[in-house]
Amino acid sequence: MSSLISAEIIIVVLMLVATVVAIMIRRVRLPYTVSLVLVGLLIAAWRPVRAEVTPELILAIFVPPLVFEAAFRLDFRMLRSSLASIVFLAVPGVIVTAVLVGGVVALGAGLPVGPAVVFGALISATDPVAVVSLFRALGVPERLGVAVEGESLFNDGTAIVVFQIALLAAVSGEFRLVESVFRFLEVAIGGLAIGFALGWLVAQLMARIDDRLIETTLTALLAYGAYLAAERLQVSGVLAVVAAGMYSGNVGLRGASPTTRIMLFSLWEFLAFLSNSLVFLLIGLNVHISELVANARPIAVAVAAVLLSRAVVVYGLSWLADVASRGTRIPFQWRHILFWGGLRGAISLALALSLPLTLAARGTLQVMTFGVLLFTLLAQGTTIQFLIRALGITDRSEHQLEFERRVGQSFALQAGLRRLAQLREEGLLSEDMWSGLQSNFRAQKEQIMSEIGRLFRTHAELERDMLLQTRREILLAERAALEDALRRGLISEPTYDELRRDADYHLEAVRLIQEHERGAEES
Amino acid sequence: MNPGPIVCATRGGEASRSTQEHAIALAKERGAALVFLYVADCEFAGSLKAPLLDAVRDELVRLGQSLLSVAQRRAARRGINAQPVVLCGRVRETIHDYLVQTHASTLVLGASGPPTRHRVFTPEEVLHFAESVAKGTGAEVHVVTPEGKVLTAKPTTEGPADGPTA
Repeated sequence: MSSLISAEIIIVVLMLVATVVAIMIRRVRLPYTVSLVLVGLLIAAWRPVRAEVTPELILAIFVPPLVFEAAFRLDFRMLRSSLASIVFLAVPGVIVTAVLVGGVVALGAGLPVGPAVVFGALISATDPVAVVSLFRALGVPERLGVAVEGESLFNDGTAIVVFQIALLAAVSGEFRLVESVFRFLEVAIGGLAIGFALGWLVAQLMARIDDRLIETTLTALLAYGAYLAAERLQVSGVLAVVAAGMYSGNVGLRGASPTTRIMLFSLWEFLAFLSNSLVFLLIGLNVHISELVANARPIAVAVAAVLLSRAVVVYGLSWLADVASRGTRIPFQWRHILFWGGLRGAISLALALSLPLTLAARGTLQVMTFGVLLFTLLAQGTTIQFLIRALGITDRSEHQLEFERRVGQSFALQAGLRRLAQLREEGLLSEDMWSGLQSNFRAQKEQIMSEIGRLFRTHAELERDMLLQTRREILLAERAALEDALRRGLISEPTYDELRRDADYHLEAVRLIQEHERGAEES
Repeated sequence: MNPGPIVCATRGGEASRSTQEHAIALAKERGAALVFLYVADCEFAGSLKAPLLDAVRDELVRLGQSLLSVAQRRAARRGINAQPVVLCGRVRETIHDYLVQTHASTLVLGASGPPTRHRVFTPEEVLHFAESVAKGTGAEVHVVTPEGKVLTAKPTTEGPADGPTA
């Protein structure tokens, strides 16, 4: 059997396993990625599978769609409201983590300082996919989700740069501070610049083409092309993908038709789901429990170092972020979630696997990485939902959930009623059938409306929330209408920009009011 | 002589429905004019830059108009022709100034749940505010809980106001 067919069989089997896991966990409140790792571990323990993971496979194949998708749907207005916190966690935070983890691991596990700092750098990239999916299920404030995802997007890039600098120093035995700082800036800024430039180029092309297949292909070209171009120019490929994804999702989509938008979001959601499924399953399959047991002490030291550094970064650097942020700040309670939600994943794995054979303690660093990954995924990933509930950081109370259910039922009934009228118009229903079914629908609708009325009476704040939500819907409709008017040539680009900016300010204002009002209701 | 208007200060919180219903019942009982007052307070967004701050103020005013319009319709169904008023400013000072300006006889406002970082008023602050308003403006202040319980602070001619009575 050719190697290509063998690889295809492995991929198909992995996709099958991932799909079975996805179906099975629908009834269990366990993050999907955590379940994949567990299943991978079980499979590996039962019958070891030879599914070799190379750093190139993760970084060049899986990471671009993961990063691009997250950046693509990240709302820049939301990102801006948490930007100070994100920048502090992703830049000084990564450097502090690398140094602190390196120091603790060198002292506690007896590793040479150079390789220990390399470990600190590779383990500093957070991977919140398990946490973010929980956020959506539990109804955590959107801004907290953006803060967690935004930090991860940027620290993926900065961690790789710091890792490369630390690795060079560890292998060569010398470290030049000034040179390293310049190299860091060159690689990070270079990556971002390439990403924005290519994002702009693709946005220009998309503005001139109205074909969902070509536009979707352009975004795929952008995600992988930005990565490859940046890596070729020896700057950060991951940061290039971040910048390209953000530009494309926030600016490039302006001219896209609703059909293209739906296709783009669906495609990238699917690619990210697929990449995540394969990465986390491969993590589980590549862990050797016996090796972890044999290295329990260095792993325990590494876990302690990672938790300690995360605490220092999240709580210690927060005041700096607060000083720098002139707008909204990250509430103190949210920092507990940032601390415990600092899971590790694909980037750390890829960097650990890419360690050169000549590096001292390479095997120990790799097994420590697997140990930390497993701890963060299995211990933190499975318990963060309890912390979120204990801190009460959810947007929705019982009566709000009931309200949502009633509103959902009302929407569904209304759609049913519209379809019924359509069937009648098409002559498929007799007058008797129409009147009988219609009165049945109306009775159900009245019951739901009376339940909504009862909820408004007992929880008056729901009425205000509904008014704000309605206003948001109106503004979104206005914005979509502006985009339509631009596409049809009814308004010029400057007029569109002016009106769209105004609509965006109002949308942001409504979001801030919603957040403020929710804060006022929460204890 | 006509009694001064009853002013019902509302912001759409958990006690707003019971507060509005109490105010409507009071206006009907006394035959007094009823004003629904919403104060658009942008203090929470104070550090924002001008275009966004303007949008926040604009949206708060819009929210206030919508909330008061709903309250006004409820009052109309009970035979009361209420007047909606939306003002911009800091909540306490604006309410105080409006009461003085309109020679209001009564202020009705809601008391919400436990204190939080974002609340305009904690329950204790509402009561304290009620006492100071009663003393400073001569208006009677009714504080209504989400369950419909009413606490009253009456104005006194001299010395500090009496504490609220249930």
